[in-house]
Amino acid sequence: MRNGKALLTQTLKAAACTFCLFALCAGPVAAAELEETDSGAPSAMVMFPVTGDGTATKGSMKPAVFNHLIHEKAVSDCVTCHHTGDPQSCADCHTLTGSPEGNGITLERAMHATNIAPRADGNTPKSCVSCHEERYKAKQECAGCHNIVVPARDDKWCAVCHNANVTPEQLAKGSAGSLTAEENLEIATKSVTTKVAPEKVPGYFEPTKVIIDTLADEYQPCLFSHRRHVASLVERIKNDKLAEAFHYQPEVICATCHHQSPLSMTPPKCGSCHQTKIDPANPGRPNLKAAYHLQCMGCHTGMGVQRPANTDCTTCHKAKPAAE
Amino acid sequence: MNRRKFLTFMGTAGVVSALGTAKVAEAGVHTFPYYDNGYGVLHDMTRCIGCRQCEAGCNKVNNLKKPDVPFTDVTVTHKRRRTTTTEWTVVNRYDLGHNEFVFRKIQCFHCNDPACASACFTKCYKKNPDGSVTYDDTQCVGCRYCMVACPFYIPTFEYEEAFDPIIQKCTFCHNRLEKGQLPGCVESCTMDALTFGRRKDLINIARKRIAENPDKYLDYIYGEHDAGGTAWMVLMPKPKGMPQIATGNAAEAAPAMKKIGLDTHLGTQPMGELTYGALGTVPMIISFWPVIFGGAYGMTKRREAIAKANQEKAVAEERQKTLETVVQCIEKEQGKEAADKARAAMTAALDEQDAKAEKGGEDK
Ligand code: SF4
Ligand code: SF4
Ligand code: SF4
Repeated sequence: MRNGKALLTQTLKAAACTFCLFALCAGPVAAAELEETDSGAPSAMVMFPVTGDGTATKGSMKPAVFNHLIHEKAVSDCVTCHHTGDPQSCADCHTLTGSPEGNGITLERAMHATNIAPRADGNTPKSCVSCHEERYKAKQECAGCHNIVVPARDDKWCAVCHNANVTPEQLAKGSAGSLTAEENLEIATKSVTTKVAPEKVPGYFEPTKVIIDTLADEYQPCLFSHRRHVASLVERIKNDKLAEAFHYQPEVICATCHHQSPLSMTPPKCGSCHQTKIDPANPGRPNLKAAYHLQCMGCHTGMGVQRPANTDCTTCHKAKPAAE
Repeated sequence: MNRRKFLTFMGTAGVVSALGTAKVAEAGVHTFPYYDNGYGVLHDMTRCIGCRQCEAGCNKVNNLKKPDVPFTDVTVTHKRRRTTTTEWTVVNRYDLGHNEFVFRKIQCFHCNDPACASACFTKCYKKNPDGSVTYDDTQCVGCRYCMVACPFYIPTFEYEEAFDPIIQKCTFCHNRLEKGQLPGCVESCTMDALTFGRRKDLINIARKRIAENPDKYLDYIYGEHDAGGTAWMVLMPKPKGMPQIATGNAAEAAPAMKKIGLDTHLGTQPMGELTYGALGTVPMIISFWPVIFGGAYGMTKRREAIAKANQEKAVAEERQKTLETVVQCIEKEQGKEAADKARAAMTAALDEQDAKAEKGGEDK
């Protein structure tokens, strides 16, 4: 059994480190420089939506900052992203409105598409989103939750990447294509180095135990070790940069199981939405019993947890003693 | 009623299809009404864990015989089981390869255009507005045409019953639906692998699940169009490593579907239309089948009685008498043209049969 106290210390330590890092960057020193890339590409860049005709784009979305350095380290070779074999910029072919060179694939699609048809030669291009998806589905530590939840594609999700802090002037210049490489790097570096790591809150682990007894008839109530489960999830992904970026606040972890409700540290219980009997108006919403089973077994199956087998009913809830 | 004798006559395949020809000529393509608001059930195999609770639920609500193996023993799912007269639904395990095992629940699909119903010439089967296909034994002659016709091998026959054996199959819990209750199996499912709802809503739910998890599901809703569309539909997981197929492409889905024992080559043409030509003389015949039956029976009786020398003449006379009676019925119901067609077709069929019998030397 994992010790709650040790975990707490661990979390606090992690928070402390973030704090130091943060303090360093924010110091009066000249803008911190990013480590150089092996490839010679800029370590980070702001991806401006370049219109091509010299005009500025309209819209409220911030441009995305791309940290070339960590992505370069995370993939095996340049071709993973530069799928033509030529290390040119994505926007050269994938323009805002699509061009014949880019096969008509717009920049937006090239970055976000998830329905990319596999190529016969195995060189299937990846978008940012499709590559991230692939990673969390392949990694066992992630596959549990991501087997049962589909991340909400909301503003907060977009903002994980679209977070470049640019002035209107910079945006105008950038999207018109007249920003120099140095200026771009400077903005990107600032965005990367000043990014605040999500805070870590020990409250993750509450409550310690949950007794699920609303349905107990054939079986005895189920004792669910809530803290242990959350702690184990947090522990497994603590060194994963992708997870850290997208679990942008602690509540996101809670939202794995407590899905579909606004992010909160005190989310509603399963039974708040899942009724014991299916609501005919919502035939797609599982009843309470199924909701528990789907959530527990879905995650266990995704993470490859071997025991208990899905049909070992009495491991989680003991059989009722036979009535006299 | 003497089923065997009746069947001897009806079994003369030519006669049946001749009647069918007349009917098709008269009524055109035959289908059952489509009930837009009919219910259905979606079996999501990615959720199913093979716990057999649905089997237990079905057994309970339908007061079926106690099973030989208790429902808690899930190892029986490893066998390829079929539905039986006392097990209207069974869950079987299938191997997708790569150490991936999945479970599929088998029961009547409650086809939009039930082949069982079109094959049954005594009209025992009914497609109800709630989506269910039910069977009523009162008119059943035990011919088992429905068993032959069903593309899913669902109706089962009480061979063990010595007297008046009848057909047994899943009823979609029609009686429970009428009371506003869920089918027994759906209510017992521990994983909501069985979603009950209006068929059209279920198709949307299925599409949504596929869209949200394109890696998890094969992009094919079995039963949306298969066998002309069925009320019960199946969503299956995409076997690991298999590239996604084009939405609803039956040919591409076939290899995966085959692994779970489903056939995507049943075509999208309503099964009833197919069986109709081959087996279904119905429902026209229903109005006068006692006449045919009586005639056929009489014919056989007489044939047995008369001397060999007189046989041919007598049989021919009897044959003509039966035929004319049938044709008169058709004329009364469907007009002269159909009657003439039926007469010609039946004469030809009977002639052919006689020729065959002569060659074979023996009249069965
Ligand atoms: S044809 Fe078979 S599956 Fe379809 S309704 Fe009849 S018995 Fe059920
Ligand atoms: S619908 Fe009713 S009869 Fe059919 S399998 Fe389910 S419980 Fe049995
Ligand atoms: S009860 Fe549900 S999960 Fe269990 S075997 Fe039947 S369909 Fe599958």
